[in-house]
Amino acid sequence: MAAHASAAVNEELNYLNWQKGIWSWLSSTDHKRICFLYLFTILIFFLAGGVAALLVRTELAFAGPQIITDPHTYNVLFTMHGVFMIFLFVVPGIPATLGNFLIPLMIGAKDVAFPRLNLFSYYVYVVGALIGAVAMFNPVDTGWTFYAPYSTTTGTSVSLMVLAAFVLGFSSILTGLNFIVTIHQLRAPGMTWMRLPVFIWASYATAVIQTVATPVIGMTLLLIIAERAFGAGIFDPSKGGDPVLMEHLFWFYSHPVVYIMVLPAFGVIGEIIPVFSRKPLFGYKMVVISSMAIAAVGFIVWAHHMFVAGISDFSAKFFSIVTFLVAIPTAIKVFNWVSTMYKGSISFKTPMLYAMAFVFLFMVAGTTGIYLAMLGVDVYYHDTYFVVAHFHYTIQGGAVIGLIAALHFWFPKMTGKMYNETVSKFAFAALFIGFNLTFIPQFILGMEGMPRRYYDYPAQYQTLHTISTIGAYLNGFGYSFALINLLWVALFGKVKAPRNPYNSLSLEWQTQSPPLHENFAEIPVVTEEPYSYGTPTGRGH
Amino acid sequence: MSAVAHPIVDHNVPPGEPPHIHHMDTTTAYGAAKLGMWLFLGTEILLFAVMFCSFAIMRYYHLGEFHDASKHLNLWAGGFNTIVLLISSFTAAVAVTKAQKGDNAGVVKNFGFSLVCGLIFLCVKGYEYSEKARHGMFPFVWNSDFYHYKNFLGLYFCMSGLHALHVIIGMALLYWYGIRPAMRGRFSGKYYTPVELGALYWHLVDLIWIYLFPLLYLVG
Amino acid sequence: MLGLLGQQGSDFAHKVDYAHDVVTIISVICTVAIVGVMLYFAVIYRQRDGKDHETPRIEGNNTLEIIWTVFPTLVCIWVAWLGYDSFIDLRTPPANAMEINVTGRKWAWDFTYKNGKKTTGELVVPVDEPVKLVMTAKDVLHSFFVPVMRTKADVIPGRYTYEWFRPVQTGDFQVFCTEYCGNEHSKMLARLKVLPKAEFERWLADDSEARKLASLKPSDRGKELYVSKQCVTCHSLDGTPRVGPSWLKIFGKEGKLADGSTYKADENYIRESILQPQAKVVQGFPAMGMPSYQGQLSDDDITGIIEFMKTLDGTQKVEVAPALPKKSAASTVGMTPAERGKALFNDSGNMCATCHSIDGSALVGPSFKGLYGRKEKIADGTEVTVDDAYIKESIYKPTAKIVQGYAPAMPAMYEGKLSDQDVADITEYIKTLK
Repeated sequence: MAAHASAAVNEELNYLNWQKGIWSWLSSTDHKRICFLYLFTILIFFLAGGVAALLVRTELAFAGPQIITDPHTYNVLFTMHGVFMIFLFVVPGIPATLGNFLIPLMIGAKDVAFPRLNLFSYYVYVVGALIGAVAMFNPVDTGWTFYAPYSTTTGTSVSLMVLAAFVLGFSSILTGLNFIVTIHQLRAPGMTWMRLPVFIWASYATAVIQTVATPVIGMTLLLIIAERAFGAGIFDPSKGGDPVLMEHLFWFYSHPVVYIMVLPAFGVIGEIIPVFSRKPLFGYKMVVISSMAIAAVGFIVWAHHMFVAGISDFSAKFFSIVTFLVAIPTAIKVFNWVSTMYKGSISFKTPMLYAMAFVFLFMVAGTTGIYLAMLGVDVYYHDTYFVVAHFHYTIQGGAVIGLIAALHFWFPKMTGKMYNETVSKFAFAALFIGFNLTFIPQFILGMEGMPRRYYDYPAQYQTLHTISTIGAYLNGFGYSFALINLLWVALFGKVKAPRNPYNSLSLEWQTQSPPLHENFAEIPVVTEEPYSYGTPTGRGH
Repeated sequence: MSAVAHPIVDHNVPPGEPPHIHHMDTTTAYGAAKLGMWLFLGTEILLFAVMFCSFAIMRYYHLGEFHDASKHLNLWAGGFNTIVLLISSFTAAVAVTKAQKGDNAGVVKNFGFSLVCGLIFLCVKGYEYSEKARHGMFPFVWNSDFYHYKNFLGLYFCMSGLHALHVIIGMALLYWYGIRPAMRGRFSGKYYTPVELGALYWHLVDLIWIYLFPLLYLVG
Repeated sequence: MLGLLGQQGSDFAHKVDYAHDVVTIISVICTVAIVGVMLYFAVIYRQRDGKDHETPRIEGNNTLEIIWTVFPTLVCIWVAWLGYDSFIDLRTPPANAMEINVTGRKWAWDFTYKNGKKTTGELVVPVDEPVKLVMTAKDVLHSFFVPVMRTKADVIPGRYTYEWFRPVQTGDFQVFCTEYCGNEHSKMLARLKVLPKAEFERWLADDSEARKLASLKPSDRGKELYVSKQCVTCHSLDGTPRVGPSWLKIFGKEGKLADGSTYKADENYIRESILQPQAKVVQGFPAMGMPSYQGQLSDDDITGIIEFMKTLDGTQKVEVAPALPKKSAASTVGMTPAERGKALFNDSGNMCATCHSIDGSALVGPSFKGLYGRKEKIADGTEVTVDDAYIKESIYKPTAKIVQGYAPAMPAMYEGKLSDQDVADITEYIKTLK
């Protein structure tokens, strides 16, 4: 396919300008362009899921019906909020966007192992999204968890929606597979495993989970379709099936999926803090081991979502203990990040603010998870607002904050432009305050016993709900502001970014901003350990 | 660096030569392809594992029904299909050795044989399904006499149906990535990756059936 | 200790709360410590004047890694054990626990006692005695959550699950459904009523009404319920419209709804009107006049009422004994006036709680919370102060001064049923609801 070197004389040739036109974007196998294809699409669903959330929160601001007069509409809205956010936004999330952009650059490769498969996986995602859009004509009201027998008997478009989720899962599997092969096969000379940036390790662990866990949910969703289409009787007790089996199969994927969502964010934070502290990542080996440990142990904790679902007391004991086990590596990471800042030279650019906020938000997320890992306490908290607040801290305060932080950090690399720090910091403040204002009242609501997925509630819970709704609006404003700022600067910004504005030692920053289509003029040879910031102490460790 | 687009995989090379890959050398590309295929096969196994697991649990709850329902499966057809697939796996493996020797005609013959076996398998399966439908033991045409076999049959159709779909996919792969290029003399000792990967996929299809057959037809 | 989970209603609640308190303290300390250290480092190691300063290339510290791996592990083991310790009690009912069968269905809870007595929406148990709930669901997954007891268990169709507790104090407590089950999931509530032992025994033995109902043919059952559930207060049998339409010839009737669309009073319409009265109100009748019976009537009850309606076709005169609702026999000796007023309010025979809440939410009638001394605008626009005289008038002559925004739905049935002393006691109770 002929292309023209249409860059202006004083503008460097890079992956953005070496080919122009919408078709060159839609058919590009360049991992960097595919990042943007994914980014724009998942942000659309972030917006849709966010609107659903605001409608839900507006309804819940006061007791009694407000803007939604029938419970079915409410049920559809919280279902769509969950489905859009999880399957269409956060699961592709960092891997499909930043993962795609950075992995080849960080390991010194020209592209991922299977570039055409990469583009194909994007279009599989689009097909999944389109099937989901068709399902919106009779939108699903089961909750994103699709529990049987409600999901196998309700009249809404469950089959279409789970088919969409199946197709989206296929996209996720292909991305994971691509990344595993890339990291194994395409590292630059000298880039040994223990010289890889932690973002790569995190992406690798994530890719393993994507590849292993997703087929399980895929098949489970197909079985739901079989159950609805020809009454196979696997999950519906009225036909001899077992609803708890469905829960087991569902959570076998849906617990590891939260690590798909959050591990890359851990990787992002591990990249940001050393750069803005001018110090090596403290305990690099332990951080790497903890990523792999989380991925592995994350596969055996699934039934902690089912402590009151009718599993045996013995199973409950087992799953509670291993859930504690998976909390420890996360704590280790947090300790190592904070220790990185010790005797550092710390600057407070926007990415660093997000990273520091992440430490706080994830401490809340992790410690509230402890409550839920404890058997007696989980009996009280299961299916209450406490759980809702906990998982929003992990997913939003973790994965989404990680994505926003990453977009700000690598923005100059991806676009060659710089955004205005004051604007981005203002957005950060709104987002951070709004988020906490939304969810801290929800912990208290949970303590007071308020169940989740409730369209209406007893009046005594109202004040906390009102506060939470105010926070939600501020939260939404913060995200909108942050993302619109980045979008605006990306399209119309004039301030050119230096090649390496933050003086990072990582490979992706050693090449021009934005990078060439082939990433590197010459494949680099790696000789140094990662994160060699600062003056050698001579004392080693 | 050039502003001209390269295709990712350029097959415009002399016959028997590996294609040019835009961003990898030949050895790396070969390793990448194999690793990718093995990972993919892993995901396929996990896919079927869910149904094996569900089968085990449903059987535990409904042992009598499963036992009875399984007797209604055609053991001869299933057994015949097993032999057919085993032979096809053998010829697929032979095709790989032929490719390694540069014997493209051998690839066409052996993969072709595997493909025909696949077709036979599907025909026998089709016959089995039509028999079930005739007796009212098929979705949408249930005979209420057999209603209590629903749990077993539901899983039977899901498992064997999904497997049959994979047989079709496998046949397509054998043809498009094996037979078709081999007819143009594409393969040699230097380059036989698609044959190897296609054969791997076919082996998986066979392997799944090796587990399906005893479970559905024998153990019941 | 910290009291974060509210009232402790069961004998093992304190164990759950203790575990909860321990984790709360540890979590707060850890979060404050780590975030505090991070902020401390951020401040003392910050770049000054935007200038980068020299930093040591510290790559790690094995001792620290060991400490902060081992120590959290030990804490986790302790905390896991606390969780298990509180859990094991919740899952081990005593052998002598009284069993009650619970059925969850869309969208109500049915309870069946060993002697055959059945209730819907209300679980009555004796204080200080262990109770084991043997539960199943009729349709989809539900979950039975009693916050004050700290127990919860999913209720699954096709199998039985259980939960148990031993209440340590009397009172009325909330029960929630905590597994999403469809449209009315948030309305699938129940009341747990813990009674003193003697009163419970009396209640349990008094199944005469339930047994009588069960033995009647459906239309007679409906006729009984028409009286005992107070439908008679708002729906006449002779054609006279009251707060609600008359039931004479109501079955199959067609007409217009408030929004102009048409309705036909078939079985489904009647069932919907009983469970969701605001859904399809007939034109000309107040929108918020009827309280919902969601969770209070079994399916057989509703069928009976419908069958009773079918008999009201005008071919024969139907008379019902205008039975005054029974007052509970509970003794009020030794109670203060406000306590006596509260007992009267809670007495289901008086039906105050059907239309007036005490938590601020407006039902069919205004909430009693903060009511006393308030200035209200009434229907004709004039302002009144809610004082003793107003309350007395509103009880005996409900339609005299109705607060703006409320329907004239309160029955005029208290004249002769509640004495002046009763009214004064109720007023005293209202005064306590600030």
